[in-house]
Amino acid sequence: MHHPLSAITYFRRNPGKVLPMGFVIVLSVFLIASISSLANSIDRTILTIYGYTNYFTYVIPQRVTQRVPEEQLAVIRDDARVERVMEASLFFTNIKTVMGQLPFVVLGLEPEDRAYLTGRIGTSLLSGRMPAEGMPEAVLSEALARNKNVKIGDVIAGPTDEGGIAGSPVPVRCVGILKGTVWIAMTTKSFCDATFLTAPRSTVFTTRNRADLTAVNEDLMPARRRTQGKLSPSKVLVLSRQNLINQVRDSLSTLFLIMGFVNGTVIFVIALMSGMLSNIYFTQRMAEFAVLAAIGYQRTRLVTRIVGETFLLTCIGWAIGALVTFLFLSAFRTTLFEPKGLFVDPLDPFAYRYTIPIPFSITLFAVATIALRLMRLDPVTIIERR
Amino acid sequence: MLGCERASLAYTDGERTTYALRDVTVTLAPGRFYGIMGPSGSGKSSLLYVLSGLKPPTEGSARFGGFVYNQHSSADVTRLRREKFGFVFQQPFLMSYLTVAENVVLAAPQVDRAARDKAARFLDDLGLSDMIHKFPSQLSGGEKQRVSVARAMMNDPEVIFADEPTASLDHANGHRVVDTLAAWRTRGTVVVVTHDPEMLADADEVLLLRDGVLVESRPPESLPSEPKALHRTGTVAPI
Repeated sequence: MHHPLSAITYFRRNPGKVLPMGFVIVLSVFLIASISSLANSIDRTILTIYGYTNYFTYVIPQRVTQRVPEEQLAVIRDDARVERVMEASLFFTNIKTVMGQLPFVVLGLEPEDRAYLTGRIGTSLLSGRMPAEGMPEAVLSEALARNKNVKIGDVIAGPTDEGGIAGSPVPVRCVGILKGTVWIAMTTKSFCDATFLTAPRSTVFTTRNRADLTAVNEDLMPARRRTQGKLSPSKVLVLSRQNLINQVRDSLSTLFLIMGFVNGTVIFVIALMSGMLSNIYFTQRMAEFAVLAAIGYQRTRLVTRIVGETFLLTCIGWAIGALVTFLFLSAFRTTLFEPKGLFVDPLDPFAYRYTIPIPFSITLFAVATIALRLMRLDPVTIIERR
Repeated sequence: MLGCERASLAYTDGERTTYALRDVTVTLAPGRFYGIMGPSGSGKSSLLYVLSGLKPPTEGSARFGGFVYNQHSSADVTRLRREKFGFVFQQPFLMSYLTVAENVVLAAPQVDRAARDKAARFLDDLGLSDMIHKFPSQLSGGEKQRVSVARAMMNDPEVIFADEPTASLDHANGHRVVDTLAAWRTRGTVVVVTHDPEMLADADEVLLLRDGVLVESRPPESLPSEPKALHRTGTVAPI
C-alpha cells in the first residue's frame, strides 16, 4: 500500500511531467555512456587486434642488421622460462580499424614452427589448407578474414595495396581459415625470404608457462625503459604486449582527458537544465506543498519528498539509459562496429562509470534550489493568492 | 482553550506598517462553534491564521492550552497543527493527481488500512461514498469542498479552522458544509470565518472584527440576516 504522497504514485499519475525529465536523463546517460564506450573501444580494439602478443613476443633487429644479432638471441635462449625461439620473416596486410587502415603482420614461419605456434594459440584449420612452401599463400584467422572481408581464394595482399608498408610484389591469396578469436595470419618463411629480400628477419619466442611472458619481456627490455634490460635497445626492439598497451594508452590519454572534460561539461549542463525543469514543475506544485505545510507536514518531510522524487526519477532514468546503451551497443556490435574494426564492450564498466555522477548532480542541483524555496515557503501567501 | 492575548499582525512595506490585526485578545472554549465575521480587510483570516499557528503574531501571543506558540519552534507548531488542528480553506486545495480517498487520508497521522477505512466512513457521512476513487477534476465545487472537510477531520482534530469555506459554493452546498462543520463541536472547537451571517445561524458565538480590531462578540441570533444590514447597524464598517 503506497502512501498517497509516494514518489511512485506521483510518477504514475503525472506522466506528462515525469516523462520529459526522465527522457532527458535517459538521453544524457545514453550519450555519455555510448561516447565513453566508443572511445574506450579504441584501446580494446588495439588489444584485440594484437591479441597474439598474449601468446608470443616479437623481437626485431634495429636498422643496422637484418637479423637479431646472435649474442642477443643467446640472451633470449638463456632464459630458462623461454620455451622456443623461432626466426620469422614477414610482410604486412592492411586491416580496417576505427583509426583507418593499419598494417597487420603476416608471419612467415617454417612448417614445424607454424604447427607449434598454431597449437600454442589454440587454433587449427577451420576450412581450406595450410600454405604450400614457397607459394604466395596465407592462412588467416576467422576474425581477421571477417575484418578484411576475404574468403578462400581472395587476395589478401598484392602490388596494388594502398599506402603504408602493407603489400606484396606478387598477389598473396588466402588458402585457409583458422578458427578462434585470436587475430593471426601466417605464410611460409620460404615465400617471404624469396619475395621480401631486404625485409628484416624477426625473432619470435614463447615461454613454457604463458603467464611468464610478461615477466620475461620486462627482464629482456622493460616496457617503460626505466631500467636497463638484458637486451640492448640499440640492437633490438622487443614488441611486447606491455609496450603495445603503453603506446596505446599514452596516445589515448589526451583523448580521455578531453572526453572527461566534455562529459563533465555535458553533465553540468544537463544537471542545470534538469534543475531548471524541476524548478518549473515545483512552481506548478507550489499550492500542493503550501497546503501540506499548512495541515502540518514538516518542511524537512517536504524537502525529503522532493529529494526522494528527484533521486528516484534520475535513478530510474539512469537505469533505463544504461539499458538503452547496452541494447544499442549490443545490437550494433556485430553488424556495425566489428566489421569496421571497432571492438565495443556493451558492458564496459569504464563507460558506465562516467554516467554515475548524472543522478547525483541532477538531484543536487534540483534539490539545492527547491529546498531553499521550500524552507522559506509561507503557506498563507500561497493559499491567500488562490 | 484556544486563544490569543494582545495579538497583532503587522506587515511592513518599506517605512509603512499596516496592521491586519491589532491588539486582539480572545479565548475560545472547547466544544463550541465560533464564527468570525467582518468586512473584507477586517482581519478575519488573519485572526484565524494567528490562532491556528499559520502566522506568528508580530506582537502578543497565541496559544492552545498550555502550548504558547512563540515559545516553541516552527517545527513544534507545525506538529501541533498536524496533531490537533484541521483546516478547510476557501478553495478546497485538493491534489489533482490523488483520488478523493487519497486526498482525505493524507491528513491522517498514519496512512494505513484503518485510516483508509476511516476516510471512507467520513466520505460516506458526507454523501461522497460513490466518489472515493474519483479524481478532483471529476467533482463539482461543492463535492470538492466536502472532501476538504473530510480531510480536515481525518486526524480527529481538537479544533477545525475553516476560512471562508462557503465563499465559492452555492447556498445549498454552503449550508451542507457548515452543517457538517457545526456538528464537529461535539468532538472539538469549530472556528469558521465567513462574510455570510446566515452561515453562522447555528454558531454559539460570533466574533466581529473591524480594521483588525475585535469589536465585540455576540450570539448569532442578534446578527442581522443580511450582511449589508450588519453594516447598517454600525457594528461593522460597510464593505
